[in-house]
Amino acid sequence: MSTATIALLGQPNSGKSTLFNALTGLRQHVGNWPGKTVEKKEGSFTHNGMEYRVADLPGSYSLSANSDEEVITRDYIASGDADVVCILADSSQLQRSLFMLADYAGIDVPCFLLLNMSDVAKDQGKTIDAKAIEERLGIPVIPFSATDTRSYDVFYEAMGRAINNKTRLNLNDLKKQYESIKGYQEICDLIPENALPGYSSMWAAVKVIEGDRVVSAKLKNAVGAETFAKIEEIKKNTQGAVATGGCKFAWIDDVLDKAVVSGEKKVTLSRLDRIYTSRVWGKPAVILTVLLGLIASFIPALPLMGVGSAVIAIKEPVMNALYSAGCPEVIVLVIGDVIIQSFSYIFKMLGFVFGVTLVFGLLEEAGVMARISYVFDNTMGKLGLQGKSVMPFLVSFGCTMGGAAGARVIDNWGQKVLTIALAWAVPCGAAWATIPMLASIFFGPGAVGVIVAILLTMLVHMWITAKVFGGKLVKVEDRYGMIMELPPYHKPKWGSLFRYVFGRTKETFVRVTKVILLVCGLFWLLSYSPSGNTSVLYRIGVAIEPVTRFFGMPWQLFLSYIASAVGKEGAIGVISALYNGGSLGTAFVDSMNGAARAANFNEMMLANVTKPEALAFIFAMTFNMPCVVALAATYQETHSAKWTARIVLYYTVMSLILAFIAYHIGLLIW
Amino acid sequence: MERLLELLRDGHARTLELLAMELDTDVEDVKRQIEYLENMGVIKRVALKPKGCAQCSGCSGKGHPEGSNTCKGCLPDGGFKNMGEMWEVV
Ligand SMILES: Nc1nc2c(ncn2[C@@H]2O[C@H](COP(=O)(O)OP(=O)(O)OP(=O)(O)O)[C@@H](O)[C@H]2O)c(=O)[nH]1
Repeated sequence: MSTATIALLGQPNSGKSTLFNALTGLRQHVGNWPGKTVEKKEGSFTHNGMEYRVADLPGSYSLSANSDEEVITRDYIASGDADVVCILADSSQLQRSLFMLADYAGIDVPCFLLLNMSDVAKDQGKTIDAKAIEERLGIPVIPFSATDTRSYDVFYEAMGRAINNKTRLNLNDLKKQYESIKGYQEICDLIPENALPGYSSMWAAVKVIEGDRVVSAKLKNAVGAETFAKIEEIKKNTQGAVATGGCKFAWIDDVLDKAVVSGEKKVTLSRLDRIYTSRVWGKPAVILTVLLGLIASFIPALPLMGVGSAVIAIKEPVMNALYSAGCPEVIVLVIGDVIIQSFSYIFKMLGFVFGVTLVFGLLEEAGVMARISYVFDNTMGKLGLQGKSVMPFLVSFGCTMGGAAGARVIDNWGQKVLTIALAWAVPCGAAWATIPMLASIFFGPGAVGVIVAILLTMLVHMWITAKVFGGKLVKVEDRYGMIMELPPYHKPKWGSLFRYVFGRTKETFVRVTKVILLVCGLFWLLSYSPSGNTSVLYRIGVAIEPVTRFFGMPWQLFLSYIASAVGKEGAIGVISALYNGGSLGTAFVDSMNGAARAANFNEMMLANVTKPEALAFIFAMTFNMPCVVALAATYQETHSAKWTARIVLYYTVMSLILAFIAYHIGLLIW
Repeated sequence: MERLLELLRDGHARTLELLAMELDTDVEDVKRQIEYLENMGVIKRVALKPKGCAQCSGCSGKGHPEGSNTCKGCLPDGGFKNMGEMWEVV
């Protein structure tokens, strides 16, 4: 029985395995290529009394020397062990998948071409004239569908023709393309035909131009060092792989010209994308989107805020009930002022955490986040950063530590440090929970204005920070633009989105509860003085007040600001402890004789803190260092104690300056 | 492809659609050029999906909530969702 060997060649997912399995059934075995860990799949089948051996070659993009697989594949083919090579291309994207054929051209082994997945192409409304392509290529070309076993007759027929007629690829047109590359012809002339057995001089010349190390080394042996030095010299002036790739694509386009008619219309930008990707309107549109998003996050926040208000409403009845039940005073106060008070805050914060996570998660899932990073790419460039720095910034809206970790996508150390330094200026999730809550207590609907002011300040802050640190960290050098493939707009998967949002909210709940109760309890203890004397904390507070007033903050708020360096939620703990029982001068006395307490905590704060003071505090807290954990993460990512310390110092100073400015602007307004 | 790289030299980010318009071709053509340039190592894909804190030096895998390879506050599992793809010139 006569035999022939056929090898299957194709890019990953071209359908090689499907074809291989259908042909060989169980008659296959898997081994390794000699000396390599690359899998070797072989099998056999009989057809019309002939026995055929089949080798399934490793799938790879092309036949360059980028990987072991590719080198093994091309050496195996060129060795001539296979009588014919069956090249698979994906009919649904011929422009792309014929690249393997173009890279194969010049290897002197008979071949034929399967236009696989023709069923998919048909569904796309494409018609492919295989006969026309066959004429241009000079090898059998057939539309095929590896998953449809009834269609294999055409395969056997094409295989037979290829083996009997030893059909080889027509190289004339491709050669003409290559001749347009400066230096190609000279290099080609220096390589004798068959210098590399199995490969034509055209193929070898192209690989040399592409900088293929394996081919270059072999060629140096074959033609001698002197000739090879000449080749190298000419090669220096070519455009390399960019030029040869261009030729291959141009050739593919010629081969497919008029042979493929696609039913698709030309892709056009959606109306929304026309706005987002516009040089003029992109930025305003994105900023508006983020603003609307933040404002919209108030809506899902409302129910939890309602819970927060309900909690505070039970404070008085609970405390009165405990008093009348004869419960010791300290315990009553701890329950009322520390626990109930804190939980009221915690629920209100959670409302915003929930709202912000939901809205930003929605933007991310819907594909809007990708547009945001696209729009800000150029701005990043002006700061000496790369477009991908937008990513850590976006993450920092959730958590600064995540932002610092996300900065890992940046290879350059200076750019990474600068990115982290800037990410600190982005208010994190805890800040986003605290800002709207405090702002809505003090400014009512004006809270939206505060949020806008915070966002604008953030942008200016980042710009200044880039100017301050940028000079030492990055050189604004010539920068290449990047390419982005924007995802299509998606309908969000509500199920998974809500699971994610609830998960985040729960996680935040646990963490925030711990911090707030701890900080609140601690500060409450420090400020508690059963004897009726003024507490230690009160005395310290009054002592430092002249200084803190300079920045527009009463001492309670200043302590709260300091606590916010531990974590923004810590600030809430301090406020909760220090503003719990009426105006502070009498607070501790009041608590002694169990005087009636105002049920409405918000009014209490309003009575104690003026609007400019509140504004100063909100700015100081927001732009203070994010938290201790972010500090640790920053040190870990930058590996520099010096830079971490610099950033901390800078942020402390900046936040106080901002508080000072905010306070004085506040004084002008109110 | 020379023209594609030439365009990127101005430092602006471009979408596939914009590239196709400026190069006077279609998106499929731009995609195959990108695929080629990526394979030849001229451009590289930005890894937007770092696996949680797989490479995070901070937590060394301890303290991860069960069923997740992210510590609290670190990048969420699977990184950024639906951010599309980005390539930069090497
Ligand atoms: N619709 C359709 N699907 C196909 C056809 N041929 C293969 N497929 C499917 O395409 C997918 C990839 O096929 P494989 O045979 O695994 O591709 P491969 O080239 O071996 O891929 P690697 O193993 O990565 O090299 C599988 O899900 C197949 O079922 C076809 O003609 N039509």
